[in-house]
Amino acid sequence: MANFSIVGKRIPHRDAVEKVKGSAIFTSDIKLSGMLHGKILRSPVPHAKIRNIDISKAVKLKGVKAILTSKDVPLIKYSISPTWADKLILADTKVRYIGDEIAAVAAVDEEIAEEALELIEVDWEELPAVFDPLEAVQPGAPRLHDEVENNISKTMSMECGSIEEGFAEADVILEDTFQTQAQSHCSLETHCCIATCSPTDDVKMWVSTQAPHPLRQRLAATLNIDAAKIHVSAPFIGGAFGNKIDLEPAQALCVLLAKKTGKPVKIEHSRKEQFIATRMRHPTRCKLKFGVKRDGTIVAKQAEVVLDNGAYNSHGPAVLAYHNVMFSTLYRVKNIKYDGRLVYTNKNWGGACRGYGDPQASFAQEVMLDMIAEELKMDPIDLRLKNANIPNEVTANAVQITSCGLKECLTQARDKSEWTTKKAHKQKYRGIGVAAMIYTGGGSIGSGFNYSGATLQMNADGTFHLLMGALDIGQGSNTVLTQMAAEIMGVDPESISLTTADTDTTFPCMGTFGSRVTFCAGSAVTEAAHGLKKQILETGAEMLEANIDDLEMKEKKVFVKGSPDRSLSYAEIGAASFYKKKKPLVAHGYYNGPEVPPEFNPVTYEGYPSPALVFGTHLAEVEVDPATGKVEVLNFVAAHDLGRAINPLLVEGQIEGGAVQGIGWALMENLQFENGEVVNPNFHDYKMLTIKDVPKISSLLVETVDPNGPFGAKGIGECAMVPTAPAIVNAIYDAVGVRIKDLPATTEKVFQGLKTQG
Amino acid sequence: MESKHRIQITVNEEEHDLLVHPNRTLLDLLRYDLGLTGTKEGCDEGDCGACTVIVNGKVMTSCLVLAVEVDGAAITTIEGLHQGDELHPIQQAFVDSGAVQCGFCTPGMILTTKALLDEISDPSEDEIKHYLEGNLCRCTGYTKILDAVNNAVQLLK
Ligand code: FES
Ligand code: FES
Repeated sequence: MANFSIVGKRIPHRDAVEKVKGSAIFTSDIKLSGMLHGKILRSPVPHAKIRNIDISKAVKLKGVKAILTSKDVPLIKYSISPTWADKLILADTKVRYIGDEIAAVAAVDEEIAEEALELIEVDWEELPAVFDPLEAVQPGAPRLHDEVENNISKTMSMECGSIEEGFAEADVILEDTFQTQAQSHCSLETHCCIATCSPTDDVKMWVSTQAPHPLRQRLAATLNIDAAKIHVSAPFIGGAFGNKIDLEPAQALCVLLAKKTGKPVKIEHSRKEQFIATRMRHPTRCKLKFGVKRDGTIVAKQAEVVLDNGAYNSHGPAVLAYHNVMFSTLYRVKNIKYDGRLVYTNKNWGGACRGYGDPQASFAQEVMLDMIAEELKMDPIDLRLKNANIPNEVTANAVQITSCGLKECLTQARDKSEWTTKKAHKQKYRGIGVAAMIYTGGGSIGSGFNYSGATLQMNADGTFHLLMGALDIGQGSNTVLTQMAAEIMGVDPESISLTTADTDTTFPCMGTFGSRVTFCAGSAVTEAAHGLKKQILETGAEMLEANIDDLEMKEKKVFVKGSPDRSLSYAEIGAASFYKKKKPLVAHGYYNGPEVPPEFNPVTYEGYPSPALVFGTHLAEVEVDPATGKVEVLNFVAAHDLGRAINPLLVEGQIEGGAVQGIGWALMENLQFENGEVVNPNFHDYKMLTIKDVPKISSLLVETVDPNGPFGAKGIGECAMVPTAPAIVNAIYDAVGVRIKDLPATTEKVFQGLKTQG
Repeated sequence: MESKHRIQITVNEEEHDLLVHPNRTLLDLLRYDLGLTGTKEGCDEGDCGACTVIVNGKVMTSCLVLAVEVDGAAITTIEGLHQGDELHPIQQAFVDSGAVQCGFCTPGMILTTKALLDEISDPSEDEIKHYLEGNLCRCTGYTKILDAVNNAVQLLK
């Protein structure tokens, strides 16, 4: 194992001191003089034509400074890609879900803004609505978007090998259908933004976002203004989990209200708005057919998938692609067929949500594997080992795998959980279940972009300043990335000062999502650090009149190997670079990879181009109360192949947080709709796990040292909740023989299952 | 418009004489009138605990409390725990244990822990969980928060 002094150390979050003192500034903490408050009027009906909007009463209300309807805003549709653009920031002729934006008000305080909303009169012509994606695709179903037939926003079909021949080879064929429900991200901080607009039309926005640079581009495109006139800056972010990647209409409206009034405007979502009108995890219905040999070899697998898009696209088409890729790439199966449809319904719309379609794919596939293991009378871990991916293979769907620790994850989790003993001595009502996963550990360049930039400069006093577009949303990238730079520069990571998440001062970064920051921004940071190190050595060589190859850097000094008295401190080098040479030392690093392979097919997503793939195994032990059906998770083991843990303390934090989000989704979290209306839009009725519900979680870090990752590292953030739900559901089956095929596995469902058993 | 009420409160040992609207919540008073933005708003409905403060020794979700109800009270917010650069042992334990991710739940978690440890100096795991049940955290999965409370107990010994 390589010998590092800072990489691999359990260093607490560098922002934690500010956060425990309460001095860390989040967007909603910012108050500007003369600041107005914006509120949004949302549709109360799921599907309707807008005949007329009358704002005459509202404008007269004292304290109201501006009102926007669709007449006042550019009618430019957006989504995460122009190809899928289908959403206006304010509805013009039609609303498509309860929550759709109709008008925006800026007033001197929130109460007046809300009062104004009540005074806006909308004349509707209600339309029939459709809430079930299977009904939405039927002929004659209400159509959401005029140009989209059968409400099918996107289809994705792929066949590798020959599915027919695969099934013909199989000894056993199993078929079943699995369903997953909507999950809300529930970051504790809701969406919030503040915009100002100068008389020269320069826009500044402070905003809770995961992706400042893409947000600037999307604001520019949607509002038809020059991106160079927009400055986006992200203060501390109170959690995001995928919900803060895409443009929010509120952000665009905030800019327009600031423009119109000439005053700073703040828009902050209420918790209810966060539940009803910001993104959620796409519900899915997944019909699977698997063909296996008696020895456990999977010879064919087929999926027919419906993703419930809700009213608009956002990330939907890409989530469908990821559902396919993750389903198809996990395990070494030669014959695969995938048919997916993304279907519009009159409900809140799905978006990126930790795992990006993969938890849904994992649930179906991993429960199916458990059923196969039972059918074959094979140990579920052995079945997975038999089919596990291996390093450096190219899968049937043309995905190049580099490092891969799936087998290690399976065996280490098995040993840690005492699986074998527990299986041999099963206790009544207790069960143990396993599930495996694959995900990207560095985003993907499928869209052509996977960029992150960094700049490292040496200050005149010999200290360092790191500028990067990547931002810390709580996961700890500021800590991890400065650790990488510090390791190369030979300094304490705390001593490196930071500028991040600011579009005017940093190189662009795609943002914090796709478990990509450690890999992509880490690659940029290490490149910049190596570049700066070279410059320092060159400067040292010149000043010491020595050969660069004879120099070493240590303890903030450059010295000639073997003669420590011939040395220069970083401070001396820094000062010389600024004042004598007038050439400050600064180096840049920029990542945008990997190269898109010729095998990549953007239609089927074969050859999915990710810089690195990560693998993992979750193992859950549960106890079921036979009288009520209540499931208690007793123990939880999560083994993750993450290349290298730059900071094990923070990695564990990601795994524990992810697993708990996964347990919540498995057992109780469910954003419920009745006729298109969310019926549990608060933390009282939408149940998230509390500290009382969580088991002990043991994290196992499997370090495969990726050949391309910075210090061998790959991502972890999203991965940590991917296989959680199937592990739990499989454990429930092991405990009491109740097979849950539609999430969540609520107490009632388990109880019903027990009852039907008799 | 209803007339304002005069209240006197002590926040982090500093006395304030204030005129407040009868519908002003303690949360808004702290955040917007006194500029103590360390107290967070996660729901405004009493469900998340992000707005927790200590009022006369008891934890309260400040979004559910009206400012006029705390007339005469002594209030501790997150800004009142550390002494200059020196963190309170509970704050230190949260930092060292990796119990802080996004940090939005953190002030509420720490203040609830403070109230707990003021009452029970060496709580059992069940007691800790009972106290912290009302404070939601979406980032950490609570494991390291539990570690932090246990570490704080040791630091305070
Ligand atoms: S903001 Fe007060 S409990 Fe959530
Ligand atoms: S640290 Fe983010 S909610 Fe707790």
